[in-house]
Amino acid sequence: MADKGEVDLTGTKQNTGVWLVKVPKYLSQQWAKATGRGEVGKLRICKNQGKAEVSFTLNEELTTIDGIGDKSSKVRAPREHPFTLQTVGGQTLAVFTENSSGQSDAEASGSVTGTGPDKIALEGVVVQRAECRPAASENYMKLKRLQIEELSKPLRFSQQLEKAVTTNYKPVANHAYNLDYEKRKKEEGKRARADKQQVLDMLFSAFEKHQFYNIKDLVDITKQPVVYLKEILHDIGIYNIKGTHKNTWELKPEYRHYQNEEKSD
Amino acid sequence: MTSLGSSSSSTTEYVVRVPKNTSKKYNIMAFNSGDKVSCSTWTQARMERDMSNRRIYGEEESTDGAGGSEFGKKQREEARRKKYGIVTKEFKVEDQPWILKVNGKAGRRFKGLKKGGVTENASYYIFTQCADGAFEAFPVHAWYNFTPQAKHRTLTAEEAEEEWGRRNKVVNHFSIMLQRRLREQERGEEEEDEGEKGGKKKKKKGGKGGDLRIHDLEDDLEISSDESDDSMGEDGESKAKTKKDKGPKGKGKKKKGSDLEGFEDSDDGDFEGLEVDYMSDESSSEDEEPEKTKPNKGEDVPKGIDEMSDSEEESEEENKNEEEAKEEEEEEDGKKTPVQVEKKKKKDSSGESESSEDSDIEGEAASALFMKKRTPPKRGGGRGSAGSSRTGSRPGTPSIDNAATSNTLRAAANKLEQGKRQTVVSSSETPAAKRLKMDPSPQSSSGKSTPQPVSGKSTPSSRLPSLPFSDVQLTEDAVRRYLIRKPMTTKDLLKKFQTKRTGLSSEQTVNVLAQILKRLNPERKNINEKMHFYLTE
Repeated sequence: MADKGEVDLTGTKQNTGVWLVKVPKYLSQQWAKATGRGEVGKLRICKNQGKAEVSFTLNEELTTIDGIGDKSSKVRAPREHPFTLQTVGGQTLAVFTENSSGQSDAEASGSVTGTGPDKIALEGVVVQRAECRPAASENYMKLKRLQIEELSKPLRFSQQLEKAVTTNYKPVANHAYNLDYEKRKKEEGKRARADKQQVLDMLFSAFEKHQFYNIKDLVDITKQPVVYLKEILHDIGIYNIKGTHKNTWELKPEYRHYQNEEKSD
Repeated sequence: MTSLGSSSSSTTEYVVRVPKNTSKKYNIMAFNSGDKVSCSTWTQARMERDMSNRRIYGEEESTDGAGGSEFGKKQREEARRKKYGIVTKEFKVEDQPWILKVNGKAGRRFKGLKKGGVTENASYYIFTQCADGAFEAFPVHAWYNFTPQAKHRTLTAEEAEEEWGRRNKVVNHFSIMLQRRLREQERGEEEEDEGEKGGKKKKKKGGKGGDLRIHDLEDDLEISSDESDDSMGEDGESKAKTKKDKGPKGKGKKKKGSDLEGFEDSDDGDFEGLEVDYMSDESSSEDEEPEKTKPNKGEDVPKGIDEMSDSEEESEEENKNEEEAKEEEEEEDGKKTPVQVEKKKKKDSSGESESSEDSDIEGEAASALFMKKRTPPKRGGGRGSAGSSRTGSRPGTPSIDNAATSNTLRAAANKLEQGKRQTVVSSSETPAAKRLKMDPSPQSSSGKSTPQPVSGKSTPSSRLPSLPFSDVQLTEDAVRRYLIRKPMTTKDLLKKFQTKRTGLSSEQTVNVLAQILKRLNPERKNINEKMHFYLTE
């Protein structure tokens, strides 16, 4: 287990600083559609007399939003997104990555990472927090309106039907299931009383597996009529009325020899 | 990169990439600012999921084999759960907390809980700058808040409630945990013998552990120590702390008379700056640290009592002393005092420390001394060592000791001391001298404030003109005791025998000390590049 759980601390040693940026949902959706190397846009950092202004420009091809309601491609995502920079505050935010198991790095075959258990690595520490806001534009307003409309629709709604639904159930004389059941019962027939000794053997072997049995289960196992079975059970077993094992049958103490009971036959 | 022409601003453009096929999931590890976590200090770290919430499959099946099992139990249980609509949440490994261990066994431990709702409305991305100047954005998969886990012992809920009820009476908080530890130890080891050293130690701890209460002298110390729960007398707590600190070490030290007043005196500022005079194991030389002195005192208190009892047995003629001595013999030095104190406390309602003082004090001189940080000078009893405090208190101020446990107690004790002073004067010189010695020593040991010692010193001189001024004698015996207890440098030794207390000038002290050292011829050891002396006997 040496590798599992061991955290790779190279990121912190190098003191790599990263930025934590909060990005609106629609933008992250657009980014997910990026093709090729994954280029999504350009980040422009402007140092204006000590104050830094950061702005992100979305690539042209990614501005088309599809699938919002019926209006496809009618609304486009805004392109300009200024960043609002914030300090990290007192918090220490570190970034760690997890290489999920099952995705072993074929490339990193030399190292023992990624195969099977997760490999955890500390990538760096957050030095700057930022929020990506879209620049207020006509486009953005339209987009937002669409979103709100989508969300305000209730999940369930009532719809009136013109015709009554008649396809589900049809009246039958007798259901198929019932027929099968009766047939099975007929075949099995009434349970016949087997030899007492045989029944006792069956019972003992059953009680070897479990200590407590319901009468119904015993009937099932032994295939004996209930009355007969009960007679036999009265001989060798006791019926628990109270306690945790309510209404169950168990063997009499002298017949038991369970390991954890230390009673002998 | 494009740059604008204006000189005051410069613009750089970077390409932003969102890599598509990373198998790595990025997560945020958030620490609280108050925890002062710096990732750069980590040399090695291990992190794994905390699987303690997972119900192992077979766990609920308590029976294995046939004994006790029912036929079809599982199905029945499942059907029953469904009927009642009990939905057991699936155990998802992804949502389990992380356990992060930094810097191995001795390092810190953190628990990281997943923060919900992070990715619902907005996504977080981590922007890292690559070698080619472009930024790469990785989506954050989950956010975990890491909090440090306490390594120290904590009280359980019941214990905490108990302590809460006693919060107004308990001054020495150190003894709370000490008591608990002692109790556990006692339960584990079942050591009952008080007479043995170990038992003594335990008892002492127990007694110190905050069981400082005012008890009747006649009470069996054992009872008190057993009974004493977390409620601790103020003195006892400090003692307990001391014990805690030097538990293993200080036990045998009888000469801890100086730290008799080892209790936290948070509200009484009189004792600040009091110097710990006598052998205190730990930073005995650090008088400025009331805390340390307090623990020291705590330890000394019992020791003091021991010593006192020892010395007293010889010299004490008063009945009280005899009683005390007997008690000490039975119970163990030092322990008795706290124990007795505890007992007394227990007996009396907590608020009646004063009354209890009066009744209990007999023979509780030492405890009284300990408790009463503030009135060490009054003691006047020469405290050569811990024991002295007891003697000092015994003769005249049994009640005073008990009073020390609380402010009111102290006030009462003070009064009593004053009264005692007058009586003390009449007592024999030796005990008086002893008391005097003891008084100052506990004083100094306890974190009494400087004014206290000053006042203390003046009191003896003013009230008990017959008593000698020095409470700390620079004798070979004293030096030997110090050196046996722990290795000390000459500087430390000098601190012990301060000029104010011994009445010698600094030059004289140095000379005398040098002579003594020559006579003793202690062994030398270099610790931290300083030459320490020590004796082994």
